[in-house]
Amino acid sequence: MASQSSARGAPRVFRGAGRSALLTLPMALWSLLMFTPAFRQPGRNLHTGAAAVILFMTGLFYLMMRTGETYRWRRIFFVALGFLFPVGFIASLVAERGSMSISISRMVSGDTPFCFMVTPSIILPAAFAHTIIFPGSILPTASNPHSIAMMIGLWLAFTLVLGKAWCSYACFFGGIEEGFAGFAKRRRLHRFVTRWGSRLRLIPWAILLFVVLGSAVLLEPVYCMWLCPFKTVTEFPAVRNVETAVQFGVFIALFAGLVVALPLLTKKRTQCGFFCPFGAFQSLFNKINLFEIRFDRNKCVDCSLCQTTCPTVALSAESIREGKTLLNCMKCGACVDACKKGAAVWHVKGTPVAAKPERARLLFLYGTWALATMFGGSILANSVAAMMGFLPWK
Amino acid sequence: MFPIPRSDSSALEALVLGLTTGPVCLASCGPVVVPWLLVQPQGMRVHGRQLLLFLGARLAGYLVFGAAAWLVGSSIPREWTSRSWIFGGVQVLLAAALAVYAAGWPRRRCTHHEPGRLVQIGERPAPRIGGALALGFLTGINLCPPFLIAGVRAAQLATLFASLQFFLLFFAGTAAWFIPFVSLGFVRRTPALVTVARMAAVLLACWYGFSGITNLMGKAFYG
Repeated sequence: MASQSSARGAPRVFRGAGRSALLTLPMALWSLLMFTPAFRQPGRNLHTGAAAVILFMTGLFYLMMRTGETYRWRRIFFVALGFLFPVGFIASLVAERGSMSISISRMVSGDTPFCFMVTPSIILPAAFAHTIIFPGSILPTASNPHSIAMMIGLWLAFTLVLGKAWCSYACFFGGIEEGFAGFAKRRRLHRFVTRWGSRLRLIPWAILLFVVLGSAVLLEPVYCMWLCPFKTVTEFPAVRNVETAVQFGVFIALFAGLVVALPLLTKKRTQCGFFCPFGAFQSLFNKINLFEIRFDRNKCVDCSLCQTTCPTVALSAESIREGKTLLNCMKCGACVDACKKGAAVWHVKGTPVAAKPERARLLFLYGTWALATMFGGSILANSVAAMMGFLPWK
Repeated sequence: MFPIPRSDSSALEALVLGLTTGPVCLASCGPVVVPWLLVQPQGMRVHGRQLLLFLGARLAGYLVFGAAAWLVGSSIPREWTSRSWIFGGVQVLLAAALAVYAAGWPRRRCTHHEPGRLVQIGERPAPRIGGALALGFLTGINLCPPFLIAGVRAAQLATLFASLQFFLLFFAGTAAWFIPFVSLGFVRRTPALVTVARMAAVLLACWYGFSGITNLMGKAFYG
């Protein structure tokens, strides 16, 4: 069994094919369990989508086992999730409502699908004003299956177990910018990121404070109204006055700048690392879950390769010296895969660092991939089915 | 039309109004108080003092508004709410005060022995009095729904003293809700936390500024 894996070039064999297949078996069974109900429903497109996702998720997990690499294969899933999510989501809106637009009457009747990004904004109004400041329904309805309770429950289950890994394995918004970051051939603005990274990574916390306090004052989700670069569940406002013009400009600038341009230039997830208040909120949960990435100081040669590779600037020279990541680590595994000395390792809290890193990785991946298959996999299956519906030979 | 309150019942009414609408006041003043307290040094005593200064200045704002409400009389709802430029101006001043104090200005003059505060953004800052007073007074005269209700009731009272008394008790009721803010003194001050609070203050200043300017120029914008 090789102890190292390469971050670039051809994947190295980490363990044998039979052993990898054996380790993949539970995940294959889980995928079948998740998507078997789809085969009971009518519709060839849905069957195709479910079958494709079973193969896709199981195949990627097998490659993780075989090569010992996490980041490379996770990224394929994650970028697919990011770019296919809008396809399935818009198709489902059109199927349910006849249009992708969400009218005011729909909002008033609580038919807006709940977006998990709103979660921090609803806490203070719920506590003080006993109201949930989102035009969705608490429980699922026929016209709105994406209810508040369901989305928060899913997110909470994922987050309590895996911490901020949600941002690397489930958040479809992050997949879009990771895709753009992947298009870049080389890193530009590296010096800027290195120099200002320590300040830039604090901005999401400031935006979180702003959004939480602002939502309590206005009793509306400030992030959705003013700052969301994606505008998935609410619409771009029609420009009728200065206020809506500013809103429109902010949305466009944030998407173009943080989701497209800066990831292309820096090869970093700039929206996630330097802006997303939900990501900052998620970071708090890194304190209370078992899995983390640590650095074996006996092996580390302070080459800073991990720091350069980290897509969200979650490492600093000081943190590496202390053998830890920063609080905003998304557990994507980029640093572990990049480290040529094997100093960056997966770790379960309460156990000695680097004692059994592969076991820690396996424990983490089983939980994460299972949840990713359940949440992201169903999104992918729906999206594939929606795309099949547009094909001429459907 | 509102019934005219009798002076003996108005005291209790003011206190109850303050206590019941306190959460709204808390939400309204929270964006100013929280970043301000977070940039102060750690410690309950410091926070208690800063909060007292803030509330004292807020009370002054209340009393000024109470006196003005009594002088203008019952025309408040019609006259004052249509004059959004008054509150637009208050919001712009609030934005400026937030930016000036919470973001680190005015900095001390740089000397060779003591670098300016702005360049030592993470250092333990000395507690400042001016910021708490300015922010407290401006939030005191800033319009929020409970404040407007109190203004209407105070305007209907027979004497200026009764009007001021009404606002004093209304203030006492709302101030009870601010006590938990002192617990921010327990939060460990790190350079990162202070920087985050300052960044948040700048964002909030932008928000108040935008809101104030749109209020000020409302007619030009919306026709």
